[in-house]
Amino acid sequence: MYVRRATSALVAVALSVGFTGCGSGAATPVRTAGLEGAITVSAAVSLTDSFTELAKQFRTDNPKVKVQLNFGSSSSLVAQIQAGAPADIMASADLGNIEKLVDSGHVVGRNYPKVFARNSMAIAVKPGNPLDIKTVADLASAKFVALCGKTVPCGIYAASVIARAGISIAESKVTRGVDAKATLGAVATGDADAAVVYYTDVVAAKKSVLVVNIPQSQNVNAVYGIAPIRGSKNLAVAEAFIAFALSDTGQKILQAYGFERL
Amino acid sequence: MTGRSITSRTPRFVVLGAFVGVLYLCLPLFGLLRKVSWSSLFSRLSDGPTLAALRLSLVTSTLATLVAVVLGMPIAWVLARVSFKGRAIVRSLVMLPMVLPPVVGGVALLGAYGRSQGVIGPVLFDVFGIQLTFSPAGVVVAEAFVALPFLVMAVEGGLRGLDPRYEESAAVMGAGDTTRYWRVTLRLLRPSLVAGIAVAWARALGEFGATITFAGNIEGRTKTAPLAVYLLLESDPEAAYALSLVMLVVCVGVLVALRDRWIGNRS
Repeated sequence: MYVRRATSALVAVALSVGFTGCGSGAATPVRTAGLEGAITVSAAVSLTDSFTELAKQFRTDNPKVKVQLNFGSSSSLVAQIQAGAPADIMASADLGNIEKLVDSGHVVGRNYPKVFARNSMAIAVKPGNPLDIKTVADLASAKFVALCGKTVPCGIYAASVIARAGISIAESKVTRGVDAKATLGAVATGDADAAVVYYTDVVAAKKSVLVVNIPQSQNVNAVYGIAPIRGSKNLAVAEAFIAFALSDTGQKILQAYGFERL
Repeated sequence: MTGRSITSRTPRFVVLGAFVGVLYLCLPLFGLLRKVSWSSLFSRLSDGPTLAALRLSLVTSTLATLVAVVLGMPIAWVLARVSFKGRAIVRSLVMLPMVLPPVVGGVALLGAYGRSQGVIGPVLFDVFGIQLTFSPAGVVVAEAFVALPFLVMAVEGGLRGLDPRYEESAAVMGAGDTTRYWRVTLRLLRPSLVAGIAVAWARALGEFGATITFAGNIEGRTKTAPLAVYLLLESDPEAAYALSLVMLVVCVGVLVALRDRWIGNRS
């Protein structure tokens, strides 16, 4: 997964370099059917399925537009953009990482970042739930628990969910995935007993894992932020895409993938 | 024919191409060295988890190399000296982990030795209580899986290049099969075996994809140095660069130590 994602990121970068040259020079901030050009959207891994669908719909509405999607953990995407990777939009699984881009002057426009989705955490267990895990506190009995890296949003959210349940899980029982999907994969295809990841990821993997809901009082409110990136050659397209994500149609798509409506 | 006359006939564009190629390879090394914060290098490396990752990597890669030698030597021997139907297929299968994406290798290992979904993994756990996944032994399994073909390739090449007369004369002088193997063949084979051990060990040391997929990423248990580098890049980049530097130095050290052997092998 790691290798494949790196390659597709490279391809996305290469394509966006190739395509931005053909974009419309006159970028008028009017959202009409006349939109044209290519944009690269850097988005959190937990948005993989929903943004793929969102981009597909957006392209149906605007046939002359191309959308390249670049998925990664929010913090590594921020690092990529700060290192000069060409992106037109950043969609993060939190607001902290977008704020980092605002601070470093990479976000264009004063109205951004905008909150476009809300997510929560859930527990994924093996089909049939052999360890009978029903609450976060039950995770203490699991032999191996998969969590995201300590410093990425999904790892930070998981840590606070575990803390709110009043338990602690020894680091010697925690395997850390490189992103939310890989973390879930440790349960779906590997030998981890449980994972604490985004509700949307567990829903997307419902064939290979079972979801255990976390009550709202113990859960977190993961707020997703989106912003256009300074230096975008197709700012009009980028802003139209953001508006689409916030529109009724866009929100319905996100909802279909388990996100909460704004 | 002397080397000089060949050099004088080397076209300019070949020399230029080689120069660009070397530059392409060396620039990232320079880029890494530039990122290393030399003043805080020692304190970064002596940090508990970083040190633990480094120690785990050294131990597991050495054990994985040992596994590769024990399993790889007989494979190389059979591939080089026994002609049988389907030898080409067996060779391709043995070399497969070399070209397979390591993550796919990790998934394949789960399919064989995983506790919940593996072919023999459940038996290992239920009967012997052995769980390879999320254990240091699992790291060795993953590293040996990707390192083995490198050893086989080097040793098989060495065996094919041996002058059969030495072994024949040993046999004529009355040496038995076992004696001949230990005292003649193995001794002649030493340069290629050492080269094979070196590349297998370096490959095991750098293993990432198969390890994280099969053995997981548990601090102090299965989090090897490459895994630590990847995760530190997000939380503590300076520590990641420091750890990368150590791995670079170790690998360069191995290459330098082997330089004479390799050159000696050629001429």
